[in-house]
Parts: sequence; C-alpha cells; structure tokens
Amino acid sequence: MFWHNFKYSLKTLFKNKPLIFWTFAFPLIMATLFNMAFSNIENQEKMDIIDIAIINNSEWNDNEIYKNSFDVLSSDDNEERIFNIDYVNAQKASELLEAGSIAGYIELIDEEPVLTFNTNGLDQTIIKLVTEEIRQTESVIKNLSEEEIQKEITSGNYNIDYESIHNKVVELTKEDNVRLKDISNSNLSYTMIEFYTLIAMTCLYGGILSMTAINESLPNMSNKGKRISISPTKKRTIIFSSLFASFIVQLVGLSLLFIYTIFALKINYGNNIGFIILLSIMGSLAGLSLGTFIGSIFKANENTKTGILIATTMFGCFLSGMMGITMKYIVDKNIPIINKLNPASMITDGFYSLYYYGDNLDRYWFNIISLLIFSAILIIISYIFLRRQKYDSI
Amino acid sequence: MSNIIEVKNLVKQYKEITAVDNLTFDVKKGEVLGLLGPNGSGKTTAINCILSLLNFNEGSIKIFGKEMNHDSYDLKKDIGVVFQEVSVFDELTVYDNIDYFCGLYISDKNQRKKYVEDAISLVGLNDFKKFYPKKLSGGLLRRLNIACGIAHKPKLIFLDEPTVAVDPQSRNNILDGIKHLRDNGATIVYTTHYMEEVELLCDRIIILDKGKILATGTTDKLKSLANIEEKITIEINELDINYLEKIKEFKNVDDAAYNGNSLVITYKKGKNNLLEIMEYMKKENIKYSKIFSERPTLNDVFLELTGKELRD
Repeated sequence: MFWHNFKYSLKTLFKNKPLIFWTFAFPLIMATLFNMAFSNIENQEKMDIIDIAIINNSEWNDNEIYKNSFDVLSSDDNEERIFNIDYVNAQKASELLEAGSIAGYIELIDEEPVLTFNTNGLDQTIIKLVTEEIRQTESVIKNLSEEEIQKEITSGNYNIDYESIHNKVVELTKEDNVRLKDISNSNLSYTMIEFYTLIAMTCLYGGILSMTAINESLPNMSNKGKRISISPTKKRTIIFSSLFASFIVQLVGLSLLFIYTIFALKINYGNNIGFIILLSIMGSLAGLSLGTFIGSIFKANENTKTGILIATTMFGCFLSGMMGITMKYIVDKNIPIINKLNPASMITDGFYSLYYYGDNLDRYWFNIISLLIFSAILIIISYIFLRRQKYDSI
Repeated sequence: MSNIIEVKNLVKQYKEITAVDNLTFDVKKGEVLGLLGPNGSGKTTAINCILSLLNFNEGSIKIFGKEMNHDSYDLKKDIGVVFQEVSVFDELTVYDNIDYFCGLYISDKNQRKKYVEDAISLVGLNDFKKFYPKKLSGGLLRRLNIACGIAHKPKLIFLDEPTVAVDPQSRNNILDGIKHLRDNGATIVYTTHYMEEVELLCDRIIILDKGKILATGTTDKLKSLANIEEKITIEINELDINYLEKIKEFKNVDDAAYNGNSLVITYKKGKNNLLEIMEYMKKENIKYSKIFSERPTLNDVFLELTGKELRD
C-alpha cells in the first residue's frame, strides 16, 4: 500500500500545474532575475572598496595574523581587495567615523578586535564577518601551535624546535591569507548570498508540497480525503508515503535549480557543492516537515493553511537574515534562541559556515543535525496528532 | 437474515443543532435500504457517523456485528462509499483514479486490474479510460465517482445521492449499475431525495426529517399512510376562483389547489373521480390541455408527514 500511495501521490503532485510552477519554475525564474540584477550590482560593487580605519597601536603591530590579513585585504596588488585602510590613532579614527569618511574602525584590545560603527549596513556586516573569520583562524592557529608543542613534550622531546613550529604557523597564516582572498572575490559576493537565499527559500517552500499531499488525505480538507479515510489503509502508510513522494518532487525541483544555475547561469558554488547539496536536502526535509505540521495541526481551510505556512516561512527567512544579513546578527545577539529553533536560520547558517569557517565543519554539521532533529520532531507530532484526530464536523 | 448494520439511539449535535436525533435502525444482509429526506434532514451526517468519519454524541454503531471505529480496518475493507460530492483526483485519468482507490483495498495487482476493468464496464466508461476528469461531463463524472467507490467489490455499499444533477442517460446507467450490485448480493444504503429512485431500487425505506425517523417500511406500506387515495392533475392556463371553490365542495375531495398552470385535486376516496371532474369541466366549458390521475406518491406521504415537499 505504501508504494501504491507513493506512486499516485507522485503522479498527482507532478501533474498539479500550480504546484509545479511554484516548486520548479518559480525558483528558476527567480534565479534568472537574480543573475540579471545582482551580477551587474556585483560588478559595480567590486569597484566599491570599503574605507575603514585601524587603531595603529603596538598590540596591532605585534599581532601578525590580524596585521597580515588586513594587509592582504587592502593590498593594491590584490585585484579583489575590499578594504582601504587608514592606520590612525583613536581620536583620528573617531573623527573620521563622525565625518562619514570610514564605515567603521577596528582596535585590538587584549587580543580581541573591537569594532566601532555609527550605523549598521552591508559594509559593516562585511567588516564584522571578515574580523570574525580572522578571529576564528587565529584561534585555530593558536590551538595548533599548542598542540605541536604538546606533541613534542609528550614524545619526550623537551628540546622544542620553536622555529619549525613558527614556520608551520606562518604557513597557516599564508593559507589563511589565500582563504581571505577567496572571501573577498567570491564568498562575499551579493550574487552568492542571494543564491543561497533562493536555495533556502526553495527548500522551505517545499512545505507547500507536503501540505497539499496531507490535505488530500484529510477528510475535513477534501472529498478524496473522506474516501481515503474510510479505506482500510492505515493513516501512517498514507502520511509517510505522501511525505516521501513530496520529498522526491522537492528534490527534483532542487536538482533542476542546481543544474540550471550551474550550467546555464554559470554560478560557481566552489568546492563545497557536495555539502551545499546535503544541506539543501536536509533543508527540504525541514520544509516538508513544517508543511506537514501546519497541514496536520491547524483545522482551517487550505488557503488559510497555505497563508500560515508562507507567513511562517517568510518570517523565519526574515529573522535568519535572508532579506538582509544584518537581521541575523541582530537576532543572534539579542534573542539567540529564536534562530536556534528557526529552520531558515539553520539553513543559512549552514551555508555561511561553509564559507566563513572553511575547513572547520563543526558548525555545518551542527546545523545539519539541528535540521534533522527539527524535522523528526515535527513529523512525530504531526503523526500523533493525525492518528488521534477525530472530527466533529467535516 | 442477519443484520449488516445496527444503529442504536444515534445522536449527533453540531453545537445547538441536533443533526441526528436518536436514530435507530438496522439493515439486513442483501437489503437495499433507502434513506429518504429533504436537504439537511440528516442523511449524510448519519452516514458519516456510521463510517466513523464523524464523532457522535450518543448511541452505538455496529457493522458486520462489530463495533465500528475509525481504526476498524478489518471492517472497512468490505465497505464501499459513493459520496454525494465527486471525490476524484483531477490529475489522474479515469483508469488511474479507479485503480488508485481500488488499490487502497486490493494489493494484488492482477486482481485489482480485473476489478478496475469490471468497475469501468459496470458504469459504462470503457471509452473514457484515458480521459481526465475535467474532460468528462457531469454525468460521466458521477459514473466515475461510483466506480471509484465500488471497484473493490464491497459487501456493504453506501450511495449518497449518486444521481444528483446528472443527465437522464447517465442516471439510467447509474441505476442499472446499482441494480447489478444489488442483484450480486451487496447490501446497499441509498440516500436520495428522488422518490422514484427509492421506489425502483429499495426494499425498505426510512423517511427522515430534522434528524428523526418519521416513518419506515416498504413503499406500499408507506403509501398506505397517506390520507388520500387519488390525485388528479389538470393543466389549465386560467381558472376562475369560483370554480376552484366549487370543486373543493365535491363529495370525495380532500383539497384542491391552483398554481397558475395546473390544478391539483386530492381525493380521500378513489372511485369515479376522474369522470366526475371531466364532466364538470365540460359543463362549465373550462379549457384544459392535459389531465391525469395517479395514486399517492411517497412525496405525498412526506408532504403529509412533514408539511413540506421532499425537494424543499
């Protein structure tokens, strides 16, 4: 019965023209529009180098990682340089900021970068992201240095070759510089941010597929649902086979989006395409679970349920920074629990973590597992609710 | 005969409204029971309660001798339902729709294929197997609706107003199909407000109004409940009110009413009434186009019991 219902759920979903438009065609249209609109902006933005100031104190000059990184990012030799840096004292930096000559300034205090801005905008977000990236890298390098020293001690070699360790650290710093160059030329691209947004939204809007499939099987939502409900096929068979069919349709839609953006629009997802696809699959599962959950627990007509789903998704996307990355940082800073429970945030955070934390995939896997747990909880609640549901009116 | 359905003291309330009011009845094996009543009389609600689609406030329901619940899967496999509303997938062809719903009952593919073909033949949709529902006329859609409900060859079938808004050809086809099911031994609960269908198909009838049983029995038994013996209908374009008053004073007349097109006279007794009225019309030189006499119908019985027409 599972495969029988799966087969026909698949058929009905694929032949549902409005649904196919929103699942398949709409993301492709949006991708085309994004590509047309943002590629121009990006070309223009590449010329716009962000003016910043750095407090030129001894702590800054002694910290090779920060110093080298910002040198690379502001070097005239770097075609993709993103910063124009004034090395000044604190008073001068403050004056420049007040005069609007710089987007912000950075000061190292007790080895921690302190950022000062007058406003919040994209320039400020980029400064924050880059600084955070360097801070993370510095932490990794320190840990590695300590590990190397510890290894030497553990192996009984108390005559530590500090020069060799120093060379390793320097190598890492160089690698870091290379990565920072990557950040400047691709990872901070508007186009990429918008494409990640589009992928995430496509994942979550898959909820409409599962909600449609669930609605078809509910006696209070459709006449077909009445017929299905009086059949001897168990509810769990109907629910899970319908959900699986929705998942497959959603994956086909996502595949089309990836194929179209990679081969037609020539979007470069970099070396992380496998991780991006995995995150998209998990995001789709979360979207489908959300659709199932809303379809199951709300006793309302189909239009109302669709409205609730879209509103929830849009609000989640807004909080996760899909419509302006600054929002993500505001929410993360003030009410972090919201984005910990927000599937849109889990998806975007997963995407950003791939780029801003590079080889360290801990945060990526944390988001993957969070999406899995989120999906499992919603599906279990939906199943329990549907299994026990009785109707006073249909 | 054993009882296939046993309904005892069924009560279903929607807030302040009692849709089904202490309903008790049973349906015997192989019987065709007609549930007759106007719109809103509680027929569909009663069926939805019996099928466990709806919660009910009081009472008990047994099907095939066992209590019916929403998870009574062993009972559900022998039940077929044709809902009042057409319940098919627009995205699937005629064949696929029937195959899908049949597949919820029958897992064996070969058996299902045969059952689906049988259902298609039964409702006369052989030429429309690959059609999508949107391409079908209202009558053909109704036939598809029936095929989806009975393809798995159930022992108990609920038919909820299956002939609403269909053309005469489809209606005859549907009624022939139902007779075929009846002749093959299916137990059928048939709800309608078309009394002629009930008279044609049903072994026993329950007349419902406002969720209550007003009368139950065979067609003849119910007709005997009527106070009138004969009804004469005369098509007249114009009738003076004085003639109407005169007619009302005839010996056997129970009542007479003129609606602008036809004069309907009901009689308490049924001898020589037609001759009497024809002679009167001739004597008074009243022109009429058509005159006919009939025995009281179920509608007349319903009118007497409830004070309103079946189709009100």
